[in-house]
Amino acid sequence: MTNLAIQIKGLTKIYPPDNRAVETLDLEIKEGEIMALLGPNGAGKSTTIRAASTLCGFDEGKVMVAGFDVDTHSLEVRQSIGVVAQQTGIDYFLTGRENMVLQGHLYRMKKGAINARIEELARYFELDSSIDNLVSTYSGGMRRKLDIACALIHRPKILFLDEPTLGLDIKNRKILWQHIEKLNKEFGLTILLTTHYLEEADNLSHQVAIINGGKIQVVDTPDALKNSIHGDSITITFDDVGKNEQAFFHYAQQQPYIKETSWEDNKLHLYVEDGGANVAALMAIAAESGAKIANLSLSRPTLDDVFLKYTGTSILDVKEDEGDEWWKQWAGKGGNSGKWKSQWGANDSDAEDGGEDQSWKNSDWLQEGDDGKNIGAKKREEAQWQQGEWEKENSASSEQASQQNDWKNSEWNKNRDGGEK
Amino acid sequence: MLADTWHLFNKYMRITMRMPMWTLFTLIQPLIWLLIFGQLFKEFVQLGDEDYMAFMVPGILVMTVLFGSSWSGVSLLREITAGTVDKMLVSPVSRVAIVLSRVLHSSAQVIAQAFIMLLVAWALGATLNMNPLYLLMAMLIVFLLGIGFAALSNGFAIVLQREEPLVMIGNLMTLPLIFFSSALVPEQFMPDWIQLISAVNPISYAVDAIRAVLSTTPDMAVFGKGLLVLTLFSGASLAWAVTAFNALRD
Repeated sequence: MTNLAIQIKGLTKIYPPDNRAVETLDLEIKEGEIMALLGPNGAGKSTTIRAASTLCGFDEGKVMVAGFDVDTHSLEVRQSIGVVAQQTGIDYFLTGRENMVLQGHLYRMKKGAINARIEELARYFELDSSIDNLVSTYSGGMRRKLDIACALIHRPKILFLDEPTLGLDIKNRKILWQHIEKLNKEFGLTILLTTHYLEEADNLSHQVAIINGGKIQVVDTPDALKNSIHGDSITITFDDVGKNEQAFFHYAQQQPYIKETSWEDNKLHLYVEDGGANVAALMAIAAESGAKIANLSLSRPTLDDVFLKYTGTSILDVKEDEGDEWWKQWAGKGGNSGKWKSQWGANDSDAEDGGEDQSWKNSDWLQEGDDGKNIGAKKREEAQWQQGEWEKENSASSEQASQQNDWKNSEWNKNRDGGEK
Repeated sequence: MLADTWHLFNKYMRITMRMPMWTLFTLIQPLIWLLIFGQLFKEFVQLGDEDYMAFMVPGILVMTVLFGSSWSGVSLLREITAGTVDKMLVSPVSRVAIVLSRVLHSSAQVIAQAFIMLLVAWALGATLNMNPLYLLMAMLIVFLLGIGFAALSNGFAIVLQREEPLVMIGNLMTLPLIFFSSALVPEQFMPDWIQLISAVNPISYAVDAIRAVLSTTPDMAVFGKGLLVLTLFSGASLAWAVTAFNALRD
C-alpha cells in the first residue's frame, strides 16, 4: 500500500471576473511516482502547481500535500516540497554557491548542513567546477540544473517542476531528463511536472494526466493511454472538405477495419486496424469517391492521439496562451490572436522566426517567453516528423528532429528498460 | 523573522556591492543640483547672514534619499517577474522579512549616498556642523525617510503591478514633493497654499530636522518633532507595504 504524496479534490480556481483556470480538478499522485501534467498553455497546469505549492489560494476544493492541508498547514507543506518554477528565480549577480546558501537559509538550515548539501548537489548536477562563478556566466542548461539543485537543498520529499525543459536545447533537455529520472529512482523523490511536450510526458513519467480547459481528462500510464487507441493512426488532410470528401468519409466509416474517426478542421483522423495493409484499400475508396487527399500519414498512436481523443484537439494545435501567470490579470493581455497552426502551415523552415514574432505578440515584456516559443516551434516539427510526414521538405531543423527521434528510440528506451528490470 | 531579514538583506547588499557604479550613478542628479542650483539660487535667496549652500545641503540630502529609495519597488517588480519572489514564497521564510529586507537595503544604500553628498558639500565649503553626534542624528532622519519612501515604492509596486505607472508615481513622489517642502526655499518665501502642503509633507519635517542638527546652532526641539513625524511616517508606510505584500497570494 503506497501513500499518496499529493491529493487534490475538487480544486476550483477562478480569476476575476470569471476565468476558471481550473475547475473541480481531481488528481492523486502516489509517493515515489513521476506524474506529468500534459496540456497546452492555459490548460491550468501552472495553476494546479501553484495551488499545490501554496503559491496561490483557490476558491474551492481540498489539497493535501505530503499529508498536510495546504490551506491550514502551509508551513509544513513548504518544508516538504521543492519548487522549480518556469521563471528561474535565481539571482544572476550571485554565484551558484551564494544562491544555494541563501536558499538553505530561507529553509532555516544550519550552516554546516548547507555547505555539506551544496557539495553533494554540485557533484550530483556536475556543477562543481562552476559553483563559485556568477550565475550570469552560466548557460541555460546549467541555470536549470542550479535551479533544481536549489529546490532540493532542504531534502524535500516532493518536487514540483513547472515546464522544466522549456527553453532548453535538445542536448540539455536530454541531460535534464536523465537527472530527473535518477532523482526519482535513487532518492524516491515524488515528482509532479508540467509539460506541453509529448516526449517529456511519454518518456519521463510513470503517470500522465492529460489536462485541458482546467480539467483532468484522463490519468494513466503512457503505455496504457496509447494502448487505449486501437490500431494505427492515419491522418488524412484535405485541401477542402466538399461533397466528394464527405462521401469518402461516409464509405470509410463503414469499413470494418476502421475503429474510430474524428475530424479536426480539414484533417481526418482514422484509427485503423493493421494500418499498413489497409491504407491501400482506403486510397482506393478515395479514388472511387473522387476525394482529393492533400496529405496522408500513418503512424503508431502517440500521446497526441490520446490527447486528441480526450480533448477533441491536437495538443500541437491548441492556441498558445500564457494566461497562467498570476500577474497577467493586472498586466492586461497582449494580442493572443495568432495560431501556431498558421505559422506552421506557412513555411516549415520559418517556424523559428515565426515563433519569435508570436512570442512578442503574446507577451511583449515577458522575455522568457522567447526561448520557450522557439523550442515550441521546433517541438512541433519533431512531433510532425514522428507522425510520419516524411514527404515534407524540412531543412536544417529536421536534422535536429531526426536526431531527437533516433536518440529517443534507442538510447532512452534502453536506459529506461534497463532501469526497470 | 530577524534572521530571515538578515540573510535577505545580506543578499541585496552583496548584489549592490558587486555593482558600486550603480550606487554612484544615482548621485549624479543631486550632485548637479548641489553644484548648479547652489550657484544659481544663491543670489535670489536672501537669507541674511546665512550661507545658501548650508541652507540647501539638507534639502539636497533629502533629495538624494528620495531619488535613491523611490526605485526600490521597480526591483521588486523585476524580482516578481523573474520568479525570485515566488521562490521565496514557496519557502517557509517570513513574509514580513521579504519586505523588510528590501526596505532596509534601500535605506542602507541611501545612507551611504547621503553621506557622500554631505562630504562633497562640506568639501565645497558649506558651513556645516560636522560634529559626529549630530551627523549621526542627521543620518537617523535619512534612514527613516529612506524606509518610508522605499516602503511606499514597494507598496505601490505591489498594488500597481506595472513598471510604467510605478515610475510615474516615483517621479511624482520625488520632485513635486521636494518643491512643496522647505528643502530648497525657506518657508517664509512660499505662498500660503504651498505652506499648507508643506506643513503636511513629511519631507519638510525631514529637511527641518536635518537642518536643525547640521546647523552651527542645533535646535533639538525641531529635530525631535521631525524624528517623531518620520517615525510615524515610516512605520505607517512599512505597515501598508507589508499588508499589501501579504495580500499578494491570489
